[in-house]
Amino acid sequence: MKTIGKFFFKLIRFAVIVYGILFAVFYFDLDGKFLYYIWEPFMIKRFDNMKRADTLKTPYTMKDNVE
Amino acid sequence: MKISFKDVKAKYRELFVVEKSPEEKNKPFDAKKAVKDFWYGKPHEERRLGDLYVGNTGLYKHREWRGFMDTMYYFNMIWLYNYAHMVTDIMKYGDGPKGVFEFAKGTMRYRWMGQTYLTVMHWFDRGLEGVRGDALKASAWHYRGMVSETIRQFMRMFEADKKLHGGEENELWKKTIAHNETLSGNIFYGWRDQLDDVALEMIPYFVSVHVNNHTVLNYIDAAQSIGLPADPCPMCQAEYGLFVQDDYPDYSPVMLTSNEACDGSVATSVLQDWFLNRPLYAMPQPMRYDDPLVQEHCQKEIEGAWKFIEEQFGIKMDWDQYVKHAQSFNKLTEFEWEKWDVAANTPYYPITGVAQALYRIYYSQDGDRPIWHEIDAHVKAIMDNTVKNKINCFPKTRHRAIAWSCAPLYYSHWCTWAYNCWGINTVINMDSLMFDQYLRTDTYEHALEDLSWFNEKAPMRAMAVGGHEHILSLFDYMERFNCDMVIMYDQLQCKGMQGIHGVFEDEFRKRNIHAIWIPHALPDKRTVSRAEIRDIINDYMTTVMREEPLDPTLLDFDDSMSW
Amino acid sequence: MKDLVHIFELEDLLQEANNKLVRQGKEDGKRALGYTCYFMPEVLLDLPGCFSVRLRAPRSGSPDMATYYMSNRTCMYGRCLLERALEGGFNFLDAQMATETCTVTCRFQEHLQLMDIIKNPDFFCEFTDVPFKKNENSIDHYEQQLKHHVLDKLSEHFGIDTSDEALLKAIEEHNEICRLITEIGSYRKLDEPTITGWEFSVIQLATLVCPKYLIIDMLKDIAEQLKTRKPDAKKTYRCKVVLAGSEEDDPDFIKLIEECGALVVADRHCYGSLPGREEIVVKDGETPLRAIARHYLDTSECPRFMEQHTMRKRKQYLADIAKEYKADGIIISQMKFCEYWSYERTIDTLILPRDFGYPVCSIEKEYVNNAVGQLRTRFQAFVESIELKNIQKEA
Repeated sequence: MKTIGKFFFKLIRFAVIVYGILFAVFYFDLDGKFLYYIWEPFMIKRFDNMKRADTLKTPYTMKDNVE
Repeated sequence: MKISFKDVKAKYRELFVVEKSPEEKNKPFDAKKAVKDFWYGKPHEERRLGDLYVGNTGLYKHREWRGFMDTMYYFNMIWLYNYAHMVTDIMKYGDGPKGVFEFAKGTMRYRWMGQTYLTVMHWFDRGLEGVRGDALKASAWHYRGMVSETIRQFMRMFEADKKLHGGEENELWKKTIAHNETLSGNIFYGWRDQLDDVALEMIPYFVSVHVNNHTVLNYIDAAQSIGLPADPCPMCQAEYGLFVQDDYPDYSPVMLTSNEACDGSVATSVLQDWFLNRPLYAMPQPMRYDDPLVQEHCQKEIEGAWKFIEEQFGIKMDWDQYVKHAQSFNKLTEFEWEKWDVAANTPYYPITGVAQALYRIYYSQDGDRPIWHEIDAHVKAIMDNTVKNKINCFPKTRHRAIAWSCAPLYYSHWCTWAYNCWGINTVINMDSLMFDQYLRTDTYEHALEDLSWFNEKAPMRAMAVGGHEHILSLFDYMERFNCDMVIMYDQLQCKGMQGIHGVFEDEFRKRNIHAIWIPHALPDKRTVSRAEIRDIINDYMTTVMREEPLDPTLLDFDDSMSW
Repeated sequence: MKDLVHIFELEDLLQEANNKLVRQGKEDGKRALGYTCYFMPEVLLDLPGCFSVRLRAPRSGSPDMATYYMSNRTCMYGRCLLERALEGGFNFLDAQMATETCTVTCRFQEHLQLMDIIKNPDFFCEFTDVPFKKNENSIDHYEQQLKHHVLDKLSEHFGIDTSDEALLKAIEEHNEICRLITEIGSYRKLDEPTITGWEFSVIQLATLVCPKYLIIDMLKDIAEQLKTRKPDAKKTYRCKVVLAGSEEDDPDFIKLIEECGALVVADRHCYGSLPGREEIVVKDGETPLRAIARHYLDTSECPRFMEQHTMRKRKQYLADIAKEYKADGIIISQMKFCEYWSYERTIDTLILPRDFGYPVCSIEKEYVNNAVGQLRTRFQAFVESIELKNIQKEA
């Protein structure tokens, strides 16, 4: 019983700590700061350097009337 | 590069420390007030929301303390809840945990996804700034609905996407209908049990601009890089710029398009058709749509679209499916009318101008989906409560405004700012009033008749074409919604609206109406910045209305680099 | 070449909308009916008792009043028309037969409805809905629209005879003009054309803005003269081009191109003859109105049409014209702020050189053409590039 109680206490303590950390992330907008200063520049670099198909080479042939 | 302690301290101050005003610094500590502010949040006039921003980024040094209950609601039921659902929805709509892999592939492949998706909580933040109580709850539910439906749509795109599956035309590719974002989802109700319909530009362009307006600039530039002049509607430019950049998902064997809303949309089809290079059905709507003679023509075009789908997919339209979804959609319409009624006739309407506008456009364009019903149930419960208990959700309202014409997508949350700064409460807007049509299902003829009317009243179109009387119906709606001010969007590249600019000027003068023109270029923040828009409103409010701001810190701040 | 008979008289007629022949037509007791777009069939407005006037605003300056109403970010053609209307230049009109076929001309015509601009007690402005496709459904719809919004209104307001017999007569007279214009235009197909682009544009424009019964004799004289007209001994041009694009009613613009050395041999633009001057054929069992509705949808090459096969055929049509008229290149000209042609010009500029081998000079211009110097440079460079290409080919 004591072990179970301890386990639950630990679990609650863990949950409280995680909840507290998440609240700090929320309150200090750490998610936004991470995305703005780290994630987005990384993605911009990735997409700017991505090899892309030259869509101007798409054929432009006649098509049948669909109706 | 050597980083000194001083640098770290300076960065810390920049990112986290809210500077107090000199008056606040000199104030003696008032414990009672501090406790009150902690519990209820600061009164509107003391908030100083503008001090929370980090430079020009739009980030917050810390998120706003809205009082204990509202902050905890925001943290638990908005921030945590939505972040969690952004993961669970991916699995839900992506057929279990493998959906996460599809999502990751899409995120790494498409700019509009990779750069935008994760920043979605800041979209909530911007739209819900300063909002409290029931208004916070109801508006946040609207955002939640839009996010969920966005996830559903992009997951369908990614799962069916040839580009993400080595060029393979999988089963989902063969069972997905692509259509222009201006074509309503209700056209496809007859196949909803066997096929799925996903608007091609809705997520890559429309939604992404609202969430993070940085990405769209790439598409506009790409559109112009192949020779298009800069003056056509930037929405249309962006819609085909996606193709120039090869940044569109290839998830369907066909495409259906329409002439809505304007010449630019028609012309965009020319270039999209080239790049898509697959069977395309154009389903134009008549321009003079209130002419009784045009209805039959319109109905036949809808039937033509149905025939096209039947032929291309080899699946007959299921009338029962149509009826089921149309009836279900009518429930959304009925609730929309109820919302309008509350917005028009009471101060108890619990939805911000931006949430009202975006949600209405999104769901009415998308058509019947379970998420909209779920959201409406939440909102109805909140609205019933505000009406029953006579809760004024925007107590600092000085002016009830109607916003007319098409809104700046990069600054759709201007109305949240306008309320916080000036007490201008945008109770309704033009886009919300479209698709105002009940769908009868008692006979095939009635169904078709109403369906054609529905599509003729599409967003950006119902008031903009078909005769000046539609666009001038602003004044009737102004009366109906008890508004004393007009926010007149001035989309600089919209030929239809520019073409009637002077008539509005004359009418405003003649009727002695306070109207503030907001120039903008739809998705492109480079033409008119958010700060310029605010300056225009500030100037009007100080020089014409001679009013003092509710929150002076919101008068002048730089958010030029914000999402 | 020897001057074309009547050409200066016709040029004079283009100097104002309410020209000498329009005034004469009114004095003859006919009703003047304005329109702006090919989708308003001029043949219906040329029924006995009335005549069509396709609206232009020649000699326009700065459209200041219209810019107040329509801002400076709309097509200048629409604004100049409104300015002219506000100045009283269209007071001779008895009706405006309007179409919502492009946004800005639509808005111009809505101003006529809304603001009581035309000082003529009989004046009315009636809109016709024009479809975006060429299928049977569209023809049905268009026919019905023309009946209700054009014929019935003309009959109601002015007692115009709109019977099948009257329509057949109007078609016959219209076809005669078309035959003459086609004949006159065919001299542009010669290896050494015996008519210049400027001359042809003056003639074609005159047929759009004057009562046809007052102009037909002049056309006959011109056609007669062209049968024997000899080209200059020494070529006065360096290459031949097709002019394609949006609204264009300024012969001086064509003159500008020709001064740069490019003879304009085909006019595929609004107010041009390709398409526009094809004869209307009434098929067996078809009513004249049905034939007119079908004809105008079938022949139009407007970028407003959005069926997939139609969009794609438009490029082929342009290439076919270039071939038929032995052009060396194509100038695609777009009125600034015209959305249809912004896009069409973009794709034409990419597809025509790539798939059909025609060099393209792609330009944007205003209705009041103040950028003459810049355009001259563009056209000169284009002519030189064609010449270089021809030299390379020969080599």
